[in-house]
Amino acid sequence: MSEAPPTGIAGKSAPAPRQPSRRTSLWAFRGALTRRTQAAVGFGTSMLLLLVWEAAARAGLVNATFLPSPVAVLNAMLLMVQKQNLLWHAGVSTLRVWTAFALAAAMAVPVGILMSSYRVVGAALEPIIDFIRYLPVPALVPLSIIWFGVGESTKLYLLWLGTFFQLVLLVADDMRRVPQEYVEIAYTLGARTPQVLRDVAFRAMLPGLVDNLRITLGWCWTYLIIAEIVAADSGIGFVIWTARRYMKTPEVMAGVVVIGIIGLVTDQLLRAAHRRAFRYL
Amino acid sequence: MTEPYLAFDGVTKRFGALDVVGQPFDLTIARNDFIVFLGPSGCGKTTLMRMVGGLDTPTGGDIRLEGVPVGGPDHRRGMVFQSYSSFPWLTVAENVLFGMRYRTDLTEQQKRARRDHYLDLVGLYEFSDAYPNKVSGGMRQRVAIARTLAAGSEVLLMDEPFGALDAQRREKLQVELRGIQRRDTKTVVFVTHDVEEAVFLADRVIVFSKRPARLVADIDVTAQLGAERPLELRDSPEFFRLRNGVLKLLREAAGDDE
Ligand SMILES: Nc1ncnc2c1ncn2[C@@H]1O[C@H](COP(=O)(O)OP(=O)(O)OP(=O)(O)O)[C@@H](O)[C@H]1O
Ligand SMILES: [Mg+2]
Repeated sequence: MSEAPPTGIAGKSAPAPRQPSRRTSLWAFRGALTRRTQAAVGFGTSMLLLLVWEAAARAGLVNATFLPSPVAVLNAMLLMVQKQNLLWHAGVSTLRVWTAFALAAAMAVPVGILMSSYRVVGAALEPIIDFIRYLPVPALVPLSIIWFGVGESTKLYLLWLGTFFQLVLLVADDMRRVPQEYVEIAYTLGARTPQVLRDVAFRAMLPGLVDNLRITLGWCWTYLIIAEIVAADSGIGFVIWTARRYMKTPEVMAGVVVIGIIGLVTDQLLRAAHRRAFRYL
Repeated sequence: MTEPYLAFDGVTKRFGALDVVGQPFDLTIARNDFIVFLGPSGCGKTTLMRMVGGLDTPTGGDIRLEGVPVGGPDHRRGMVFQSYSSFPWLTVAENVLFGMRYRTDLTEQQKRARRDHYLDLVGLYEFSDAYPNKVSGGMRQRVAIARTLAAGSEVLLMDEPFGALDAQRREKLQVELRGIQRRDTKTVVFVTHDVEEAVFLADRVIVFSKRPARLVADIDVTAQLGAERPLELRDSPEFFRLRNGVLKLLREAAGDDE
């Protein structure tokens, strides 16, 4: 790496450029980080938080009825797995989320695409969707119980309600952002509209679409807990709500943590799948 | 009288209240000619070119290719855009192959042969498996050119295709494009803001007024510089003189306010 020093035009030698350090700094503004480092940093902060929390609990700084220590929560969780079928409840909740989500996505994707592909469809649906989108899902709980009773369909309906209308607009937006050039290239190559939609527009919007699906899936969990608290005898929401009645804070927190873990794992898996599927990005 | 290859016949275009081409526009283009549209920004060059491609329809008059009025877009008239010119989810080779995706008259084998031929022609064969975001901007434009040629386009419509490239890449691509056009005998309609590029590439430079677009000058470059365009031509006094003449015309066309 030894090069002759550059001679300045006027004969003066230019000041030696500051040697950039070989080790990339963690604090370079908008700098890159290896995936390894990112994972390590994320893991580190999580552990630190848990340690501080545990220490605070042990030192008696917080009332254990309100904030039990991580170890207590973990113990409660293990006990619940053995005695209360916690994993089964988690499975039930996950299944509900995915069923409702799949239903919402299967409907929202075509509707959203149509809304941006044909102005009339967009004009016709946008006011309705925007109206419903702003209704808080909990406000619709009584109505959905009147309509569907307290069975499985109420829960699915509430979840669907919470995601479909949000998702439609996100999908429509993804579609709108497909560059007109792509569409026109396809037309000048002799494609017909269905082919343009399938081969070009859909392909172009796919990475954004998958990202939006991942984000919306997270919202689904919010509504799931509401639905399970109101009307259920199974699922994590039910477990949490039952534990609350007896003020079993560690169990309440264990339920919450399970949701968090499911969310974290799902999200990371979907992100990894995204990276794998869209290598070209 | 024989039918001209490509003809604008009394073409006008308005977008709502906006007159883009006010006076009826007439122009005939011979087969295998390289035509460059030059004019002030916003005068309607892109619009005129898009109408040839069938992506916009004239408000009045019509555009005919070999006597047949142009309807919608088809593969005989191919577009090369300035940006988003190739599909990022396809490799270089797949992009070129995509050009023939909707041609039912070619067998898969013929399509692959054509793909390889045109990849080679634009010098991208060794980048076949790269994705567009991994190659330079100049290569991306060559991908688009190869795709359009592979599709079997006889008329290449190019809207500032080299606008985003640095000067050196631009020069190189200009020489290449001119070579391809001469060898493959294509008719090209090329829009640019760059007077030097216009004079270097064109058989004919069409200078437009500011909007509403009107033909200001129709310069036969080949009559003055010949059909061969080696890079050295740029340093010759004839090139320089012609360039200055066109620049002056363009300044007058743009008016004082620019
Ligand atoms: N689809 C459209 N709807 C309404 N107005 C349009 C549309 N397309 C173009 N225009 C307007 O028509 C005029 C001519 O546009 P055009 O893109 O053809 O100009 P141009 O000569 O290519 O300009 P530039 O050199 O900046 O690319 C502009 O004022 C533009 O805003
Ligand atoms: Mg333009």
